[in-house]
Amino acid sequence: MNFLTLAAKNLTRRRGRTGLTIIGVAIAISVLFSLLALNSGYEKELNKEVNSMGVHILAVPKGCPYEAASLIIHGGVIPKYLSATDLDNVTRIPDVELATPMLMHQFMKKDEKTGKSTPHIIYGIKMEDMLQLKPWWKVEGRFLEDNETRVMLVGRDLADKENLSVGQVLPVGPAKEDFTIVGILERTGDQDDQFHFFPLEEAQRVFGKEGKITTIAVKVREVSRISDVSEEMEKVPDIQVVTMTQIMGTIMNLAGSARSLLLTVIAIALIISAFGIINTLLMSVNERTREFGMMKAIGASGSDIGKMVLMETVFITISGGIIGTLAALVGSSLIESFVKGMLPYSPAGSLISFSPELVGFSLAFSLFMGLVCGIYPAFLSSRLSPMEAIRGGME
Amino acid sequence: MSDIVEAKGLTKVYRRGREEIHALRDVDFIVKKGEFASIIGPSGSGKTALLNVLGCLDTPTRGSLRINGIETCGLREHDLVKLRRDNIGFVFQQFYLMPTLTARENIELPLLFSHKNGKGAGIDGILEMVGLSDRGNHLPGQLSGGEMQRVAIGRALINDPKIVLADEPTGNLDSATSHMIFKLFEELNRQGMTLIIVTHNLDLARKAHKMYTLKDGQIEGCEDCSPNTDMMC
Ligand SMILES: Nc1ncnc2c1ncn2[C@@H]1O[C@H](COP(=O)(O)OP(=O)(O)O)[C@@H](O)[C@H]1O
Ligand SMILES: [Mg+2]
Repeated sequence: MNFLTLAAKNLTRRRGRTGLTIIGVAIAISVLFSLLALNSGYEKELNKEVNSMGVHILAVPKGCPYEAASLIIHGGVIPKYLSATDLDNVTRIPDVELATPMLMHQFMKKDEKTGKSTPHIIYGIKMEDMLQLKPWWKVEGRFLEDNETRVMLVGRDLADKENLSVGQVLPVGPAKEDFTIVGILERTGDQDDQFHFFPLEEAQRVFGKEGKITTIAVKVREVSRISDVSEEMEKVPDIQVVTMTQIMGTIMNLAGSARSLLLTVIAIALIISAFGIINTLLMSVNERTREFGMMKAIGASGSDIGKMVLMETVFITISGGIIGTLAALVGSSLIESFVKGMLPYSPAGSLISFSPELVGFSLAFSLFMGLVCGIYPAFLSSRLSPMEAIRGGME
Repeated sequence: MSDIVEAKGLTKVYRRGREEIHALRDVDFIVKKGEFASIIGPSGSGKTALLNVLGCLDTPTRGSLRINGIETCGLREHDLVKLRRDNIGFVFQQFYLMPTLTARENIELPLLFSHKNGKGAGIDGILEMVGLSDRGNHLPGQLSGGEMQRVAIGRALINDPKIVLADEPTGNLDSATSHMIFKLFEELNRQGMTLIIVTHNLDLARKAHKMYTLKDGQIEGCEDCSPNTDMMC
């Protein structure tokens, strides 16, 4: 026989009580486990979605007359410029994965049939950076090379509207230079479908804006760092920051407060269950005072008794932990649909992400909980005087 | 014969609020190796107090106590545990068996604390000695009072103690069963075990070599009960 068997057998003495305590722990652990799983799953999915937007933050010159949002969505002429220094400053911010300079130029073009002028937008870009930001870009023809001259890409909608095709030559800029369309972007579904894209230096040359930048597009290493990075960017004197993730950010905030609510729920569940355990243990320790006295009389030390009580506790919490984790695994889809209904915004993918680490954490936590809850009752029982038992003989 | 229990001037004072209760007053008490001593006395006379002190479950307020030659006064709890474990077996009136453990497991229990696990042969021997060879796998609830006390005696013996202390071991048993239990004690004593047994039953107490009478925390008399003598010791 060993202490574990002894502890386990002690617990079978009050099956009902032990069972209820285990269920209490199981509930707390399953709440903990599924909420943590949900939390990490939610974050993962949200990260995925924000990442697919490519650009997280845009930097534009301060005092830009256009409303930032409209600038992003529709493009626009920016009369002020950023410089290479600004770009350097942005690149240097920690957690900036990529900062790419862009030059936006707008010109009006008269439609031959209707006679109406419509604005056209040209973006000077660094091709490699762009493909990193927007890896989903596909092209009919080919992409640009950064050091090429007199070439351009056009968006699908623009190509359709203007009847453009790969290989066609268009006059560009004050000098009406001939630019060849080397590729047409496949439809992206966003504003990129409307634009012309030039190699950055070519755009700067043609429009006489050497070294000038209108926009810096930034991708952040991790979505959760967006607000920190944009704060840092605000500190660069010339820059006004527009986060592409303003909406997403709001969602993250909402999710954040939802999360602190979740954590509160977890904490409350755990505290209630911890008190339940401690109460049960104190009761059972109290009932067994004489028995502990007897044990001391037959050779147990205080720490033997304490060890036994601690093991009983850990037995309860680990059993509860295993049952709770299993229950959470089984019931996760239920919880998921419930939670999806509650959250302000939920990504399309599965919200609950179970990892072995999380299972390990749950079990480790239940062990930890056992140790914490068991310490006081174990301490009390280890200090009991061995006389109790023999005194009991008379009364 | 050497003295295995050697108590001098044992005094035990309990405090209940402001009241002082002198449970033992200056008790001298010597038990030789292999001796069988019984203690009788009215309720509240200090029998349990004496046994507790002798068994190192309680420390005397004054006086000295040597167990198997070791002075117990001033020993730390840790050393007392070891002293108890190696020298003393306890039997209680109310058996105090673990209800979830079988007879065999109850007898084994002290091995768990003395870290001498796995003395299987010893357990079988003890089960046989206490006459429970065929009851080893029964739970206490399935045993009679006498059988439960036998289990408790087996448990007291498992760690191979020098002395067995029993506090009214037959207090909960009928007279026939009590006699059986005392037969067992006598048998143990024949095999060399030193015994100190507290009892209310004068007939049983006389089965010992020496019978001490305790009153108001003092030893009032000692009767030598050996078959051929009939005198005070
Ligand atoms: N822990 C204690 N606290 C206070 N008084 C006690 C305690 N233990 C014993 N006593 C008192 O000491 C006296 C002797 O008790 P005890 O040894 O139990 O007597 P006996 O076993 O002979 O009936 C009694 O008056 C009892 O009330
Ligand atoms: Mg008593």
